[in-house]
Amino acid sequence: MILGLFLASAAWAAEQDEAQGSVVRVRAAIQPYDQFRPWQKKAPYGLNGIGVVLPGGKVLVTAALVANRTEVGLEKPGSAEKCAAEVEAIDYEANLAVLRPEKAEFLKGFKGLALGPALKAGDTAEVWQLERNGELLRNQAEILTVGVGRYPNDEAGFLQYGVRVSLPKRDDSYTLPLIRQNQLVGMVMMYDRDSQEGTAIPGPMIDRFLQDVADGKYEGFPTLGVSWTTLRDPNLREEVKAPKSGGILVTRVNPRGTAGRAGLKEGDVILSVDGMKLDEDGNYRDPLYGLTAIGNLVRVRPKVGSQAKFLVSRDGKEMELAGTYDRRARDEAAIPTLAFDTQPRYLVLGGLVFQQLTGAYLQEWGEKWTERAPQRLVELFSFQQEKRPDPDKKVVFLSQVLPAAINLGYQHYSGLVLKNVNGTEIRSLAQLAEVLDSVKEGNLIFEFTDDPGKLVLDASEVKARQEEIRKAYGISELRKL
Amino acid sequence: MKCWFLAILGAVISGCAKDGQLHEAKKNTVMVEVTSQVWDYRLPWNPGTVSSGRGAGFIVAGKRIITNAHVISGARNITVQREADPRRYAAKVKYVAHDCDLAMLEVEDPAFFKGTTHLDLGGIPELESVVSVYGFPIGGDRLSVTRGVVSRIDYNAYTHSGRESHLAIQIDAAINPGNSGGPVMQSDKVVGVAFQGFRGDVAQNVGYMIPTPVIRRFLKDVEDGRYDYYVDIAVRWMPLENPAMRKYLGLANDGRGVVVTDVFSEGSSDGYLNKGDVLLSIDGHPIESDGSVRLEGKPVQLEEIVERKFSREEVRLEVWRGGQTETVNVPLKPADMFSMYEILYEPPPRYVLYGGLVFQPLTANLMAVLAGSADLRLKQKYTMFATDQMYRETPEPVILSAVLPDPSNVYLRGLAGQIVREINGRKIRTLADVEPALAANGERSVIRFEGDSRPAVLKREEVDRSTPRIMAQYGISEASRTEVGSRRLAKGSYSQEEKK
Repeated sequence: MILGLFLASAAWAAEQDEAQGSVVRVRAAIQPYDQFRPWQKKAPYGLNGIGVVLPGGKVLVTAALVANRTEVGLEKPGSAEKCAAEVEAIDYEANLAVLRPEKAEFLKGFKGLALGPALKAGDTAEVWQLERNGELLRNQAEILTVGVGRYPNDEAGFLQYGVRVSLPKRDDSYTLPLIRQNQLVGMVMMYDRDSQEGTAIPGPMIDRFLQDVADGKYEGFPTLGVSWTTLRDPNLREEVKAPKSGGILVTRVNPRGTAGRAGLKEGDVILSVDGMKLDEDGNYRDPLYGLTAIGNLVRVRPKVGSQAKFLVSRDGKEMELAGTYDRRARDEAAIPTLAFDTQPRYLVLGGLVFQQLTGAYLQEWGEKWTERAPQRLVELFSFQQEKRPDPDKKVVFLSQVLPAAINLGYQHYSGLVLKNVNGTEIRSLAQLAEVLDSVKEGNLIFEFTDDPGKLVLDASEVKARQEEIRKAYGISELRKL
Repeated sequence: MKCWFLAILGAVISGCAKDGQLHEAKKNTVMVEVTSQVWDYRLPWNPGTVSSGRGAGFIVAGKRIITNAHVISGARNITVQREADPRRYAAKVKYVAHDCDLAMLEVEDPAFFKGTTHLDLGGIPELESVVSVYGFPIGGDRLSVTRGVVSRIDYNAYTHSGRESHLAIQIDAAINPGNSGGPVMQSDKVVGVAFQGFRGDVAQNVGYMIPTPVIRRFLKDVEDGRYDYYVDIAVRWMPLENPAMRKYLGLANDGRGVVVTDVFSEGSSDGYLNKGDVLLSIDGHPIESDGSVRLEGKPVQLEEIVERKFSREEVRLEVWRGGQTETVNVPLKPADMFSMYEILYEPPPRYVLYGGLVFQPLTANLMAVLAGSADLRLKQKYTMFATDQMYRETPEPVILSAVLPDPSNVYLRGLAGQIVREINGRKIRTLADVEPALAANGERSVIRFEGDSRPAVLKREEVDRSTPRIMAQYGISEASRTEVGSRRLAKGSYSQEEKK
C-alpha cells in the first residue's frame, strides 16, 4: 500500500518533469499601427501565452499571440529566467508561428514535445496551463468536432477541432497547447468562457506548417481560387447536367488561381480532386478524419508547387484537368486582406492624406466596418474576387484631409479613390509619389472616381507649406511608401 | 426612423395674440380622426394592420382642409370635427403630397362648414418672434394652445417621405405627440403647419413647422387637379472656396459660384449642364461660393429657387463654361432616380409569387423589413443605386424577397435576399419583366442572381402543382400584383404620364 503510493507519486513527478521541459511562458509586447493616423502607433499592450518547445529548441505559438509585436520574450515556468525571442516563421492564415530564442542555450535541457497523431471526435486530451509557481495545470478536454471552419485571419477555413474544456482563469492563456499522452496534438486558439468551448488548430496542420518551415523556404498553404455551391438540388443537377451523384458546382473561378490555370470554368461540376471523390456537399473521405470538407483536401494536404488533378463534368462530359497548387489567387489580390507587423503606406501632401487600401484599414472602422467605412472602399475590397482587378494596380485613396489654409474647401472629403494626377493614372502609392515629385510648379489636379471628381492644389504653394503642416500635426515623416 | 418622430403641436395663445386670432383659430381648426391600414412588405398580399390615430387640420379658403400627409396616410376612414359642433363628419383625401407632408381634405356635407370662415396664409415669421400653435395633442380632447418662439429657419429633412429636405421652421413650443397638421399662427395669419419634432432624449422643446412657401406651392400645384411632386435640378455641386481650384477654373477670387461635380442622367439637367460647369447665378440671384443665394434678404441654399417651381417650368442659370459665361435654361422635372428611397404609403406592395418564391421590387419599405438580413451586396445596391446611376441599367432592381417553405422548394430557401439578374436568359430590369420571363420557359425556369450565388431551377410541372397548395397554405388570394398605378419610377420602367 505504502509502496504503491510512493510509486504513483514518483511517476507523477517524472511526468511533471517531462512537462516542465516542454513548455515556456511567452510574453509579447504588442503595438499595432493606427490605420487612421498611419504615421503613428496605437497604445501598446501585452499578450501572454504558453509556447510549446519543439524538439530542436524552437517554440511554437499561435500567430495571433505575436501579431503586431514590438518584442517577444520567453520565460521558464519555474524560474524568472527570461530570454528574448525572434519570430522565425509566421503564417497568419494558419495562425501559427515559430519563435527562436536569441540565446540558443536558453532552452538547454528542454526535451520538447513531439507531435502526436490526429484526433477524432470523442477523443480526450489535455489543455495545459501554468500556475504562478510554474507548475502545470492539466485540464481534461474532449474533442467535440473535427471539421473545416474559420480561422481568425482566414475566411476560407482550415480544419479545426471543437474542444470542450473548463479552463480556470490564468494570466498566460492567450494561446495554449493541446496535449495527449505527452505529445502535442493541437493549439487552442479560441475559447469561450461561457459555453466552455473552444477551437484548436489540429496537429496535422501544425505538422504541415513545421515541414514547410523546415525546408528553409516558407511557402504557405495553397488556395484553389474558386467559389462553389452544393449540388443536392436535383433540379440544379439536371440543369448543369451533373452525373447521378456527387460533385459540387463551380460558380466563380479566379483565372490566376490553381483551378483557373488548370482550366476549370464557371459551371463545371468538380467530381474529384487528386483522386478523392467529392460528395454533393463538397466533402471527401479523409483517411484520418473521415468525411471532411474540400477545404482540407485542397489547402492542407497538398503543398505549393505540387500537382493538382481535377475530374470535372462540363456540359455533361467528364474530363480530367491538371495544374499546380499555388497561392496566386490570394497573394496577387490588388487589395491585401492581411496587413500585420508592417506600417501602413501613406503620403501627406498639402494636408491631403493618401493611403493604399488594405483589409486592415477597413477593419479599423470596427465590427460594423461594412456599414461605417466609405462604401466605395468596402465595395472594392469585398467584391474584388468577382471584379478581378489588375493585381498590380493598387487602390490609392484620399483617407482624410488635415485642415490647412491651402486645402480650404476640401476638408470634409474622405474615402475617395484616386484615379489620376495631372492625367497620369495612379497605380500605387510609390508611383503617386514619383508623379507628385515630378511636378515642380503649376497645378496638381487630383481626379477621383467619385464625387467631387476633381480637387486642385498649387504645386509650389504645397511645397512651401509641407513643413508647416508636418509640424502642426506632429507627423515625423510625410510619407511611407 | 432615425431620431425623429412625428409630433403634433398644440396651439398657444401668444402674449401678443389678439382675441380675434384665438376666435378665428377656434372656428377653423378641426380635429382629424383617422383609421388607417399599413401594408406589410413581409407579406405583401395581406391588406395590412389597422390602427387609428388623431391629428389636426385647418380650413383655408374654398372650404378646403389642410393637414399633414402623415396624419391621413393609408386612411380607410376619416372623420373631422370642429370645436363648436359635436357632430363628426366624413372626410375624404382630395390631394396628398407625401414629399412635403401635406394633404388636403374635403367634406361633402355642407353643414360642416356652418359657422366657419377660413384662415389666410401669412409669410415667413421673423426669428425670435412668437407664434401660437393650435391642435389636439394627447392629454385631453378639446382644442389646445401653446406658444413658441421662432428659433431657426433652415433646410431640414421631412421624415415622412424618408428622402426629402425642404425649408422648415424650428420653434421652441412644447410639443406633444398626437396632433400634427394644426395651424401655427401669428397676427391672425397661418405661418406654418406643425409637423415634426425631436424625441425628448435627443433635444427638448424643439418642434418644426412647414412654412407657407411650401404650403402655397402645394396649393398651387394642385390647382390643375393633381399633385405633381417637387422638381429637382438633379446635379451635385461643390463649394468653390479653394483659391487653387478657382484659379484652375479661371475664376476670379470674388467668392462667387459653385462647380457642378455630377449631373444625374435622366434628371432635369441631363443635356443642359456638364460636370465642371460653374454656376454663377440662378434666376438672377448671384450664387455665393458656399452655394447660398439671397432670397427676400435671407441667405438660403440655391435649391430653394428650384423648390418653388413646378414641373416643366424653367430655371435660368448663368454658367461659366470654357472660359465664357453662358445662359442655360433648364426645364425642371421630378428626380425620379431617387424614388426608390421614398417611403410608400398608399400603393399596395407589388409582388410576383412563383413556386413559393416571392419577387418584389427594391423599395425603401422592403429594405426596412429586410434590413437585419440583407447581405452586403443588397445593402450596397440600395445605398449606391442613385449615386452610381444604376437606374440606367436597372430602373427597379427585383429581389427574391422570400421563399415560402414548401416541399417543392427545400433547396431554394437559402436564396432569399438575392438580387435577380435574369430569368430564362432574359434580363430583369423591373418587376414587370418577371412574369413574361417566367412564362418564356420550357420545362425548366432558371433564375440567375447577381454575384456568384447558385441559380434557382424550377420545373414548370412542379410549380403548377405547388402554386395552388402554397397559396392555400399561406392565405394568398392573388399570385401577383404588378400594376404600377401612380407610382413614379426611374425612366424606362414604365411610360410616365406627362402633364398636358
